[in-house]
Amino acid sequence: MLNSKLILILLLALPMAIATTATGEDAAAIMEKSHLAYYYAADDGISEVTMRITSKRGKERTKEFVMLRLDEEEGGKQKYYTYFRKPSDISRLTFMVHKIPDGNDQRWIYVPSVDLVKPISADDKNSSFVGSHFSYEDVSGRHWSEDKHSLLPDSTIGDRAVFVIESIPVEKYKGFSRKLSYIDKENYLPLREEYYGKKDKLVRVFTAEKVEEIDGVTTMTARSMENLKKGGKTLIEFSSIEYNVGLDASLFTERFLKNPPRKYIK
Amino acid sequence: MRVFRAFIITGLLLMAVPVAAEVSIDGFLQTLYGGRLDESNPTATEQTASEARLQLRVEDYGDAAEFFGRIDFVYDGADSSDYDWELREGYLKFRLGSRLDFKVGRQILTWGTGDLIFINDEFAKDYRSFFVGRDDQYLKAPQNAIRTEFYSGLGSLSLVWTPRFEPNRLPTGRRLSYFNGQSIVGEGYYFDPTTPAPKFENGEVAMRLSRQVGSYNSSLYFYKGFYKNPMGVVIIDSSMVPIYPKLNVYGASVRGPMAGGIVWVEGGYYDSRQDRDGDDPMMPNSSVTGMIGFERQVASNLTVNGQWQTDKMLDHDTYEKQQTAMNAFVRDETRHMITSRLTKLLNDELLALSLFVFYSPTDEDGYLRASADYKYSDELSLAVGANIFDGTYDATEFGQFQKNDNVYVKFTYGF
Repeated sequence: MLNSKLILILLLALPMAIATTATGEDAAAIMEKSHLAYYYAADDGISEVTMRITSKRGKERTKEFVMLRLDEEEGGKQKYYTYFRKPSDISRLTFMVHKIPDGNDQRWIYVPSVDLVKPISADDKNSSFVGSHFSYEDVSGRHWSEDKHSLLPDSTIGDRAVFVIESIPVEKYKGFSRKLSYIDKENYLPLREEYYGKKDKLVRVFTAEKVEEIDGVTTMTARSMENLKKGGKTLIEFSSIEYNVGLDASLFTERFLKNPPRKYIK
Repeated sequence: MRVFRAFIITGLLLMAVPVAAEVSIDGFLQTLYGGRLDESNPTATEQTASEARLQLRVEDYGDAAEFFGRIDFVYDGADSSDYDWELREGYLKFRLGSRLDFKVGRQILTWGTGDLIFINDEFAKDYRSFFVGRDDQYLKAPQNAIRTEFYSGLGSLSLVWTPRFEPNRLPTGRRLSYFNGQSIVGEGYYFDPTTPAPKFENGEVAMRLSRQVGSYNSSLYFYKGFYKNPMGVVIIDSSMVPIYPKLNVYGASVRGPMAGGIVWVEGGYYDSRQDRDGDDPMMPNSSVTGMIGFERQVASNLTVNGQWQTDKMLDHDTYEKQQTAMNAFVRDETRHMITSRLTKLLNDELLALSLFVFYSPTDEDGYLRASADYKYSDELSLAVGANIFDGTYDATEFGQFQKNDNVYVKFTYGF
């Protein structure tokens, strides 16, 4: 009797186990999907960006800029163009990144007051993006193949069901020693990320503050990064977002770095 | 008084413009105070700067063209106790077809790869500003020019024509002393050099052919004009008058990523057209110069670069004989200069510490620029800094400024 009961339980459990394996996704595949949904939405995009940087002492600064993005290959090379509006000391300054996932990115800055084009060494992807608590890598994305991922038990963030994925860098990395990502099961956007540093201490927390539907693309229109180790927090808000506007690769060259394309940057 | 009236009228005009059209205006108000450190400096004033400056930037654009204006109004308390103003930039930009860009009017121009070393950049510099703590943008003096840039799949060709020669702005002895050929002098020795006559043939032509090869940018340069400093002398009515001798420059540069940083190499040949044989003691000899530089981020928020420049004077033997006969300073045939810049950002990039050092082992002189810039808020920033010169001889590039050591404090409100 006992045996048949056990068999029955096993028989009942088996389809469930099979079901989990069938629909349950591989952690790396989830991270890839998430990366594409978050960093490679549509083929190109334009957005007005407001960045509020709060220091550990509570002082707030605001930066406003326009950002243009062009995907050259899905999950691969990308080009970014940034035109600063505020504050006054950096207004009209432009900044360009050619993101090369399997190599070193290339970055240039143009300072209009001295008519100076300058390449910037892009060795350190962990350096701050324009003085904020986001790093360059946070803004342009870390390739999923650089970490080893494992799936932890599912969870929820607010009312959203999420995958929880633990990522450990394949090579020793100063950005983090371990990362937990909470990825929306429906749209694959990362709703929360926890970055752990030395002695497995939580050092930074990323939060998706607002997710909206724009031109049929589920878009994170506000996100924040809090630094728990050094203090301080940055909130980035996106507005006037447009997708698939047909940006040409020629816009991401020195010519347009010096002459902002007025068609897109008003 | 005329200047003052112009100031008022321009101000009123500027205020009227945004009412007429939706033109954007921004800018800053800045006060700069600086004083010399060396009591023995023969300058007329002990203050190297005491000024209030209002910069207004105006911008407008339509479908086919855009306009940009940058105008400075200054009250100068260190020198003239007078109002002054300057149109720093006032240009329009437009495009003809898809390959040709124009920028026409008063503009700041820069090219080349060096960090504060200019080999093929023969656009006007303002050392009066550079040495007293004004913002970096004032190192460049504006030129009235037409810039044309042609783009093709092969690269780009830039052509800048400056119809009227625009010289460098050098210390005059009033705030900053300099070497006048005999000794370090203050006010009273300065002659405005004779500038080339306003003829078409005396316009400046600067060309650059640029091409991206992989991640490297390579350029060829050509300049036809005049030495930007009064390097020559002519005798008029038995007195010596400084002039800007004719000059051609031919050069090349390469810049790109290497070893986690950026590397650049640039060279140029200075063809002194009024002294090709190098035997005229009143004119500069031709020379060849080159530099190599490297920059990288060495720690978080710490960027360091280094440059080495060398230049060789042609026909140095003749020059040496001439100088010795006149009992004048003889420079080395081959000079070397090394420079280094350190930039450290602290406190979420609110505080920027910067150090730039020039040192020449052959001229035995040097120049150190140090500054700390703190952004108190998005609008308000405070900077303090120092300019320190040293030299064994009075006649060298930085040695002549050795009495001009100064410190300054600067407040800026941006809007």
